[in-house]
Amino acid sequence: MATHLSSGFTKTEYVDPTPLPESVPKVDEVGATSAPLKSASFFIGQYCKAYNEDFMLCKAENNDPEHCLKEGRKVTRCAIDLITKLRENCSKEFDAHWQCLENHNQELYSCRKPERTFNTCVFEKLVCVIQFIFISFMYYFD
Amino acid sequence: MPVPFEALIPFGIIAAMFTVTGTGLNTVRYFANDRKPARFNVDVFDKAMMERDRRLTGSVRGQSSDPVAPAAFATNSVWYADVPRHN
Repeated sequence: MATHLSSGFTKTEYVDPTPLPESVPKVDEVGATSAPLKSASFFIGQYCKAYNEDFMLCKAENNDPEHCLKEGRKVTRCAIDLITKLRENCSKEFDAHWQCLENHNQELYSCRKPERTFNTCVFEKLVCVIQFIFISFMYYFD
Repeated sequence: MPVPFEALIPFGIIAAMFTVTGTGLNTVRYFANDRKPARFNVDVFDKAMMERDRRLTGSVRGQSSDPVAPAAFATNSVWYADVPRHN
């Protein structure tokens, strides 16, 4: 016999303030919100390609959150590093692009002009092969 | 016979009414979205990102490009749970 629920969706909000156990190494979370992340997305994809692919393959093996914590930490550190670099070198163009995205429903095709200036700035200042090779080995130690 | 311009006055009034309500609605949405144009065509991914933005900045349209999140962000995610039902 089926029991009848008195209400539909669950509205009770539950926040668990317990921090992670001490055995898990502490890593800061990425603080960028959706528009800056979308603006930097192609650069994150290029700069952190190895770590992102590692994480996705690990998740494909086993979707349990506990299984891929180590690869996830590397992804987080790489993204934080890239966003720090972008803000250091190209902060004006970066801000202009993600603020334009926020005013246009976060659609990339509406903001091509700021995107072009941002891309040229990143190309001139950050696209340095030696830098990538050096940095890409820094995150293999966990 | 010349054009009866008096008949166009009610059309003008109706068009003005539509304009006023449309502009009023857009103005309310503009101020409700932190003085930015409202988001449309928001899918599940965008909703999840906006919830993350709310956890980071306090408002679903708040944005910040800080590389590192504030300390509270690690534990302020919301789960929708309920008391166990003893049926």
